[in-house]
Amino acid sequence: MKRSVLRSVLFACLIVAASHIVVAQKIAIVADKLYTMGSGAQGQPGVVLIDNGKITAVHSGGSAPAGYTAMHAVYVTPGLIDAKTTAGISGAYNIPADQDEDERTDPNTADVRAMDSFNPREMLLQYVNTYGTTTVQAAPGITNPIAGQAGIFKTVGPKTVGPTVDQLAVKPVSAIVFNLGESPKTVYGGEHKAPTTRMMTAAIIRKALLEAQAYQKKWSEWNASEKKDPSKQPAKDLKLEAIAMALSGQIPAIFNAYRADDIDTAIRLAQEFKLKFMLSSVTEGYLEAPLIKQSGAAALVGPTLTRPGSLETENVSIEDAAILLQAGVPVALMTGFEGYVPKNRVLLLEAAIAAANGMGFEGALRACTIESAKLLGIADRVGSLEVGKDADVVLYDGDPFEYMSHVTAVLVNGKVSYQR
Amino acid sequence: MSIVIVAIFLNIALGCFAQGASSTAPSDKVVAVRGAKIYPISGPPIDNGVLVIRGGKIEAVGAVSSVSIPAGAEVIDATGKVVMPGIVDTHSHIGIIGNPPIAANQDANESSGPLQPQLRAIDAINPAAPGIRVALSGGITTANIMPGSGNVIGGQTAYVKLRGQTIEEMVIPGTIGGMKMANGENPKGYGRRNQAPMTRMETAALARREYTKAEEYKRKWDDYNKAVAAGNKDAKQPERDLGMEALVQVLEGKRIVQHHSHRADDIMTLIRISDEFHYRVVVHHGSEAYQIANELAKRKIPVTLTIVDSPGGKEETVDLRDDGAAILERAGVKIAINTDDPINNSRFIIREAALAVRGGMTEDGALRALTINAADMLDLGNRVGSLEPGKDGDFIILSGPPFSVYTKVLETWIEGQKVFDRSNPADLHYATGGYDAADRYPKVNFTAAGGAQ
Repeated sequence: MKRSVLRSVLFACLIVAASHIVVAQKIAIVADKLYTMGSGAQGQPGVVLIDNGKITAVHSGGSAPAGYTAMHAVYVTPGLIDAKTTAGISGAYNIPADQDEDERTDPNTADVRAMDSFNPREMLLQYVNTYGTTTVQAAPGITNPIAGQAGIFKTVGPKTVGPTVDQLAVKPVSAIVFNLGESPKTVYGGEHKAPTTRMMTAAIIRKALLEAQAYQKKWSEWNASEKKDPSKQPAKDLKLEAIAMALSGQIPAIFNAYRADDIDTAIRLAQEFKLKFMLSSVTEGYLEAPLIKQSGAAALVGPTLTRPGSLETENVSIEDAAILLQAGVPVALMTGFEGYVPKNRVLLLEAAIAAANGMGFEGALRACTIESAKLLGIADRVGSLEVGKDADVVLYDGDPFEYMSHVTAVLVNGKVSYQR
Repeated sequence: MSIVIVAIFLNIALGCFAQGASSTAPSDKVVAVRGAKIYPISGPPIDNGVLVIRGGKIEAVGAVSSVSIPAGAEVIDATGKVVMPGIVDTHSHIGIIGNPPIAANQDANESSGPLQPQLRAIDAINPAAPGIRVALSGGITTANIMPGSGNVIGGQTAYVKLRGQTIEEMVIPGTIGGMKMANGENPKGYGRRNQAPMTRMETAALARREYTKAEEYKRKWDDYNKAVAAGNKDAKQPERDLGMEALVQVLEGKRIVQHHSHRADDIMTLIRISDEFHYRVVVHHGSEAYQIANELAKRKIPVTLTIVDSPGGKEETVDLRDDGAAILERAGVKIAINTDDPINNSRFIIREAALAVRGGMTEDGALRALTINAADMLDLGNRVGSLEPGKDGDFIILSGPPFSVYTKVLETWIEGQKVFDRSNPADLHYATGGYDAADRYPKVNFTAAGGAQ
């Protein structure tokens, strides 16, 4: 069973690899202040050379060599990585026709994949690309206790032509998402179905994890058996298979929690089942920073510009990410889900608020570039401007976080996806 | 005429309450702010300026060399900082969509019928709502608190200062508020219940029917009052209708229609109806207003924009553009910028204006959109919205340039009284958010903004 999942994942990766054979264009990005987010001094004059979609050289100072198309900017950063969002699967019109993030028919939809809802041409995805977001972890919504599988994708911009979701996938399956708090119990509770309480949400998750453990055991026993008797082969169950991937540590579990006690529940559940896990939203994380640090979990924080329209988000603090970071929790920023106007938050604007409220310039920039890449396990490809990495680059005419600065150009895989 | 009598009574009543409120402050108190870069809005910025407020009113504003600080004044040293007028939010639901955000505190939309001119926002605004403190932390001193946009005619809005323990203290003396109306998607919510309106046509028709009734009501009362004035003792007094009375105030130009509308064609519809009944109107949200910028400029229709981080969330906002404000400004349309709190949190109103500047609006235009233009749209331009002698002493102190992300609102003052001070941990809490910041009865002592002690 695991093999079959791996096979499909590998297959998708092959498709992705193929898609990166792009038309060769050599670009030299000349920056007054270059933030590579790799090793070495940051904010110095520098040049990034791009060939065939990859970064081939990074120099300090200097100008564009012959044979390269030069692009100049005041500030240059790596493409921004949104650590968790519904952009691409929850459309701008907010009508049933374009809302594909919440399968509200079953509290356990472990087998659904964000990838199967992801629409590369969704206007909000293009919109965030114009604000420098080049990679997103697109995740199922906030309603199901076991919501399904997230995936990591590149974004497309107004100038991007025609990639498919398979071509955009960096990790077709990147995590399994669990939801705690208000949303599951209010949606299902409203129909007098389980869960109607937080207790039941936790119970549903626990039960599924236990079943997945048993499933795992059955399969490993069968795999270890000498004969591998086909008549005794356990029945395949894609939900349990997906949860088992989290149990075996193949993919991390992401627990979405807003209220402090829901964060505690997430940690409790994760520790009971020895899950490799992250927290998302983490709205009241500032109350639990030492506990989160102790748990070893990373925090995908945001959005803090959100409308505090629920009991569990009304205590949102624009210092949340900074307080968690100061406590030693690994932090990446995310835009999450919005149910109404505006339909999507913008990572750059979230990072700006974080930068100005305790995280500082480089702290906030790290949390939406290299730190995000490391936490999502994609730092070999994105997150910094270093030789061999994908040429995902954002150019600005001033301090990226200043309201009045502009993104002047965005490159994804060495191609201009947006130009102002 | 009894409508007039009611209006006068209301004014007197509110005036009395307001007097009660201001009597808590020494009426002769003098405050002088010194050393800041002052944006008076009515004129160019003043480096190293002085602002003098006496008894809640601005007495003088000018360069330190030209304005002397009265003896005995409470002097605020604002050297290196920025001072501008208190911000006027033309569209807010603070206190009427309350905290915590549960049904118990949702009083903006009376969804029992689409025509509700008799409703008064003042009957639902909770002055203890933490959203009001949050708004102060964002630099807002005056707000138009409104019913929601679920109804074609939503009810009477309230023009308030963000101070006081009662709505009577909050309401600005002499004001009766606006009339909230809406078209486009939101009133069509009735359609989902098989009730009218389910189309834009019916939304317009409902408005027309109601104003036609109001014209008739006005005519009856005018006839009656004329007959009484002529000494006709047999004249029969028409029955009173409080909703009609409020609409007559609209027809008479005493009450501005504050009209929710997003799509360009919806905006044209509301203008058409306002032309038919000759009433004054301000367009609220105006997500597609840029598409008809020249038309709005030509007709001198003001627009108060709600600037959000991304398009979408509903069909009529998908064509929202970052440069919408800039396009309107270049066309010569009078623009304000509002929060529509809770759509945008009030602590971020200056940020909204900054985003408009990012989209190409001038800084000067964006400052006016937060202050004097907004005041004008509430008929309050004679008392708030700029720092000029004789106007209310409402101002804010900023740590730096108004539109920098790194700038903080340090202090907010209303009529010479400090109502927000970032150096006070309890106040800071409303600026940053954090535990209990949305609670009407905060229970914890705060140290740092986020953390509870």
